[in-house]
Amino acid sequence: MISVEGILFAAALFCCALATAGYLISLLVRRVALAKISTWILAAGFMLLTLNLLVAAVHWTGWSSFGSRHFLSIYAWVIAGIYLGLQLKTKTRLLGAFIAPFILLFLIAAAGQGADRNLVPSQWQGGLTTLHLVLAIAGEALFVLASAAGAMLLIQNNLLKNKKPGPLGRLLPSLGDLDQINHFGLLWGFPLLTLGMIGGAVYAAFVWGGSWPADPKVVWSFAVWVFYGFLLHQRLAIGWKGSRMAVLSCLGLIVFLLSALGIRFCLATVHNFI
Amino acid sequence: MIGLVGLNHKTSPLAVRERLFAGCQEQMNLLGELKAIDGVMEILHLSTCNRVELVASLEDAPQALIALESFLARYGGLTDEEAKACLYFYRDREAIRHLFRVTSSLDSLVMGEAQILGQVKDAYRQALAQNATGVVLNRLMHRAFRAAKRVRTETGIAANPVSVSFAAVELAKKIFGTLAGRKILIIGAGEMAELTCTHLVGNGAEDITVVNRSPAQARLLAEKFHGAARGLDELDEVLCDVDIVISSTGAPTYVVTGEMVRRCLRKRKNRLLFLVDIAVPRDIDPAADDLENVYLYNIDHLQDIVDENIKNRRREAMKAEAIIEEEVANYINWLKELEAVPTIVSLRSKAESIVRAEMEKASSWMQSLENADREKVEALVHSIVNKVLHAPVAVMKEESAEFASQDIVAAARQLFRLDD
Repeated sequence: MISVEGILFAAALFCCALATAGYLISLLVRRVALAKISTWILAAGFMLLTLNLLVAAVHWTGWSSFGSRHFLSIYAWVIAGIYLGLQLKTKTRLLGAFIAPFILLFLIAAAGQGADRNLVPSQWQGGLTTLHLVLAIAGEALFVLASAAGAMLLIQNNLLKNKKPGPLGRLLPSLGDLDQINHFGLLWGFPLLTLGMIGGAVYAAFVWGGSWPADPKVVWSFAVWVFYGFLLHQRLAIGWKGSRMAVLSCLGLIVFLLSALGIRFCLATVHNFI
Repeated sequence: MIGLVGLNHKTSPLAVRERLFAGCQEQMNLLGELKAIDGVMEILHLSTCNRVELVASLEDAPQALIALESFLARYGGLTDEEAKACLYFYRDREAIRHLFRVTSSLDSLVMGEAQILGQVKDAYRQALAQNATGVVLNRLMHRAFRAAKRVRTETGIAANPVSVSFAAVELAKKIFGTLAGRKILIIGAGEMAELTCTHLVGNGAEDITVVNRSPAQARLLAEKFHGAARGLDELDEVLCDVDIVISSTGAPTYVVTGEMVRRCLRKRKNRLLFLVDIAVPRDIDPAADDLENVYLYNIDHLQDIVDENIKNRRREAMKAEAIIEEEVANYINWLKELEAVPTIVSLRSKAESIVRAEMEKASSWMQSLENADREKVEALVHSIVNKVLHAPVAVMKEESAEFASQDIVAAARQLFRLDD
């Protein structure tokens, strides 16, 4: 059955795919104008996704209606929202070429999921779970942003160090701007993730008692959290900046993604969402 | 027709351009005198340090062009040989193309520079103010501005800097993003360093410090930028504080060593540092470039970027030429039609008025006809008139496409007594 929600989701997915293609082509042909158009298309996709989520919220019939599709959609929605919000402040349109593929990836993953699957078992549903989910998603989305900016910074740094700024260098944002985005992502992503994890931990302590830390997702998330905490510390206290931070952020994201996928497909976990 | 007479930096030495520039400058009522020349209908006078040109809509082309040439020769005090060697003439398509290329900065000394468009606009404004232009030149100038705008936006001809100092500013922007509030250190007192610093300040940088072996010279330069002068012995300390360093001393050894930069990095908390070394022999140890968050560019690096940009501009110029051709063709189409169109319009309206008058006369007996029959008669009359006019109108249009409609148009006006 075709629902309003389904149509909105499909339209959002289409816009996002179009914007991603636009961003990548703009990088290839080195025209900022195309990236600007893509930003507008992405904004349209974001609005559609917002409507889609609103429709889902209106049809909310308790936790049993919250499926994997929603979970992944919210992921994509948060990343897109942060990126677009940033576009209002800085002129770093090309960042979209690095962010949009992530958003698209989450949406495609969401599309592959039935909207009806019950994500959170009924005995775990509650306020703390919601808090845990929302904050963890927002925190991780900000890390994705920090890493995308880091990846661009590495390219720009490489061009400038090799004395070949060229057309690509002209197209990419400045080192200063990229470093600031990386800083912003870490600075806000870390506390959000921290709060999200505390929410999860407090809840788990109540429900499960002693056995929860053995869950592989928890162990890996804790490792990722420690890593990002280390990064933030080096940045704020020691003053690490630029390419070194960029390399580490990218590494962090790769480890995070690999661990998420590895846990999903190889190990048994209670965080069996996607 | 449209004619253009003038000289530019390619055809004439500076001394000749100077004389002509001054001669035209002294003349208060230049456009008035030019308009008074026989055969000149509309005129525009463009005068910059690299060119003096007259663009005109002419009635009697060869005569008027010669008159314009001798006018320029007189005002510039050019000898016959000089006039012959320096002045160029263009007519119609060539004249239009030349003007469009000039306005789009394809004919400039530094291709893609932005000044020329403003200068042409000023020249046009002056001509407008003195009523020296009309339908033909007004449209021509608007089309020239349009072509220039298209060239600027659709090609990358003006995109990248082609001077060393601007290249340094572009790099600074790529490193820091905004230059607002950035601190600059100038070591030495080279002219190029000063120029680069001026551009940086123009882009928002402030807080300039000058370090020089001679304190007096340091103070002199610092005053220019409302900055501070420091001694060479304080270099270590200053280096910790600034964002951009421009060095151009005559020192035989490195003034800024790799070790100095490395030492200050920690105190800087790894803030980005952009080092511009435009001295020969070099002032800044190349080892500094191996450090993280330090970007060192010497004069060769900057020159390479400039060379690359010049090459790019030449490539973009090819695209620009295509745009110019397109715009020239557009304008010529309009111009061609302009020659024949008024005659075609008056021919048609004359025929129309004859038909109306004859119908009026016939209205008394036509009243006896049925309505339908009367309409048929009217349709028949219109059809005959149209068929008769079709051939002359078509011929005038065809000839105008070849810029050769003048005689035919004159003949048509005479044959049909359109001017009575």
